[in-house]
Amino acid sequence: MKWRTERRRGWSGLIMAAMLLLAACSGGNEDGNGAAGNSGTDGTGNATAGEAEAAAAAEKVLRIRYYDDPAGFDPATIFRVENENIAFNLFSGLTSYSPSGEIIPDLAESWETDDNMTWTFHLREGVQWQKGYGEFTAADVLYSYDRILDPATASPYASEFANVASYEATDDYTVVIKLKSPDANFLHVVANYHQGQIVKQEAVEELGDQFMWNPVGTGPYMIESMKTNSEIVMVRHEDYYRGPAPIERLVFSIIKDDDTAAIALQNGEVDLAMRIERTELLERLEADGFSLNPLYDRAVNLRIFNTDVEPLGEVKVRQAWAHAVDWASNIAATNPMGDSPTINLLPKWMEVYTDDVPVYDYDPEKAKQLLAEAGYPDGFSVTMHVRSVEEIDQLEQENLRAVGIDMQFEIVEAAMYNQIRNDGSFEVSGRQLPAINPDMILFSYLHPDNIAPNGLNGARYDNPELTELLEAARAEIDADKRKSLYAQVQRIALTDLPYIPRLSANGFWPGFDYVENVVINPLSQVNFYEVDMTN
Amino acid sequence: MKEYLVKKAWQLIPTVLGVVTLVFIVMRLIPGDATSHMAGDNLSGDALNAMRERMGLDVPIWQQYFNYLLQLVRLDLGTTMVTGQPVAKLILEALPVTFLISVLTVGISCLVAITLGTLAAFTAHKGKKLVDSVLTWITMLVDLMPSFWMALLLMLLFTLTLGWLPATGSIDYGDPLGLLRRIALPLIVLCMGQISTIARITRTSVLEVLNEDYIRTARAFGAPQLLVVFRHALKNAAMPIITVAGLAFGSLMNGTVITEFIFSIPGIGSLLIGGIKMRDYTLVQSVILVYSMLFIVVNMMTDLIYRYMDPRVKY
Repeated sequence: MKWRTERRRGWSGLIMAAMLLLAACSGGNEDGNGAAGNSGTDGTGNATAGEAEAAAAAEKVLRIRYYDDPAGFDPATIFRVENENIAFNLFSGLTSYSPSGEIIPDLAESWETDDNMTWTFHLREGVQWQKGYGEFTAADVLYSYDRILDPATASPYASEFANVASYEATDDYTVVIKLKSPDANFLHVVANYHQGQIVKQEAVEELGDQFMWNPVGTGPYMIESMKTNSEIVMVRHEDYYRGPAPIERLVFSIIKDDDTAAIALQNGEVDLAMRIERTELLERLEADGFSLNPLYDRAVNLRIFNTDVEPLGEVKVRQAWAHAVDWASNIAATNPMGDSPTINLLPKWMEVYTDDVPVYDYDPEKAKQLLAEAGYPDGFSVTMHVRSVEEIDQLEQENLRAVGIDMQFEIVEAAMYNQIRNDGSFEVSGRQLPAINPDMILFSYLHPDNIAPNGLNGARYDNPELTELLEAARAEIDADKRKSLYAQVQRIALTDLPYIPRLSANGFWPGFDYVENVVINPLSQVNFYEVDMTN
Repeated sequence: MKEYLVKKAWQLIPTVLGVVTLVFIVMRLIPGDATSHMAGDNLSGDALNAMRERMGLDVPIWQQYFNYLLQLVRLDLGTTMVTGQPVAKLILEALPVTFLISVLTVGISCLVAITLGTLAAFTAHKGKKLVDSVLTWITMLVDLMPSFWMALLLMLLFTLTLGWLPATGSIDYGDPLGLLRRIALPLIVLCMGQISTIARITRTSVLEVLNEDYIRTARAFGAPQLLVVFRHALKNAAMPIITVAGLAFGSLMNGTVITEFIFSIPGIGSLLIGGIKMRDYTLVQSVILVYSMLFIVVNMMTDLIYRYMDPRVKY
């Protein structure tokens, strides 16, 4: 009997200890949230429970699935599209993007240039910073650009300003930027994205390295609170220059697994799911009456050939590869909703896109013939680095085997995969570069300055004729001439074929139909200012 | 007792130093660093070098190691390389939910498994093979089911079809009932994994004890059968069960990685996986350091319970 009572006491002690630890830790949690959260919502803390409930009932709250741990929102160091989406709603640039991806005025009301070299921006007056940091002026623009270029910031986006010769404020509401060489796409460089996002000096200096978690911008939403790796709450900026957003509060709930996200959506635990791309899940959600909110041709996914490796340096070998694989059928058999067939390096919605390029239809006989002409009638062996072997990769392997190309997979995990691709130490690999500026894609992949490891030209492609056309296209002022120069670049690139466009990836943010106007822009971002709820 | 604790405390130092060094080396042997994850699809060259510099990855490795040790001596776990958050704060935020889930999992599993295991042993002892085999088969079947698959099935059943339990949601300690509902599904998945192991051990060791003389004596004195089994036999069969339960608790505390991932639980397993994925050396090193200390503490507690249960055990 004695034994039993003592044993019970032992258990209750353990449970007590557990409770204490929990209480201690959760107490700490609430303190942390309170400190971060109260700055934006002064006074609500004093409301009685009843009032708070009434306010909550009237308030529109949109719950959104977020698919990875957030990694901070400082424009100078931000990375990954889901973090960039938060920043897109938090900050502003001189220009921004419309839902369809066109450049629109943002902090700059208007601008002019005569030669694509000197750009004058006229800033909007009366724009208010979030969290009471006062009014926005040209000084904020200069500070933000200085900060990006300051080596102490170590911003990976500093090089985006490489073509900038100088920038100055001629008065509080005018900024003049001079370039080293003409750039017709310069409005992308100062847009509401990465280096183009304007930050507030006082906030950056007060918060130091915690600015990335407590950012202050001029956008429609600001961060209210955060629970580590669990939840991000944004509240609307009441003094936003276009007026307050229709939805008061955005609650991003971190759900990493796609299956769980689909179930959470179906069960009404979230209203909208950021990025679900698997066909089976999308079909299930569509059948259940959810809006899929698609963005077609989010980014083109390329097969990259290291042209320094025998026999991938031969144009005919690469063309044979393109003919050997039945790209369209493979997509239809594996992920018909998530991916679409494509023929070009650029996504179809880009203004300078052309479909007047060589097209490589599925033709195994032609592939064999090209291989024979290149001197490889019996094919060859090659290794492809992948993160994981997807069904579509296996189909490609089958297709290649049929014409005599023996492709083996080497599976490496994400960080190493990125490193191998950046070093250029692979034979065959892949890449998918989301971009809105055609130069971002064409210069990165095709310009000799960007040959790996200096840039993304993993093919080590260097064709002086194309380089010259590309540089001329960037400098050209006349829109039609520029378009024709870009068309020539695309034709040469798809003839030489250092990269094969495998597929074009689509994006989906499935949600309830009462969540209206969810439009994913070509940078895969949603402007929540445009979104409303009708329930 | 006191001697034992002092001895253990001294052993802690080389163990911790060993763990720290090993993790430091292993993390740097894995190809890629924090920048390779951040690079994603659109960064390379100078941009990556700038990032490397910012995160202190450009200094020689021995210097990084020395700095890290110095920092630990000051009892400072540092800030994460990638996101600049204090590591100690992250761990303290992630620990409670993992701790709660681990305690409940071990508690519930022991309760169910010991009952099942004892019943199986008892029926086997009585020669009723059928009940024993049915129980053995069920536990084996449960053991064989992959946890991610089971998690998905449970979600489809309890969340979508029946609508009883949520699949996701925030962890709110202010609402115990809501919290229990929130962690119910992960608990079921984790318990399934533990119950079969503990039940099998219980069955074996109770069966052994049931063959002992003193059990026969107790029965001969006319003590009720179930009382004999649950009081006398089980108590004497407890040692291996405690060992298994202790180990289970240790490994559960060290993160229930898959379950946390599927059910979006911001626990210690999620933190570690996030750290490894990002190659955040500081985060991973510190989480594993805390892990190993926890494991040592749990082992010490198991040892102490041994002594308590069986005074013959000496250290």
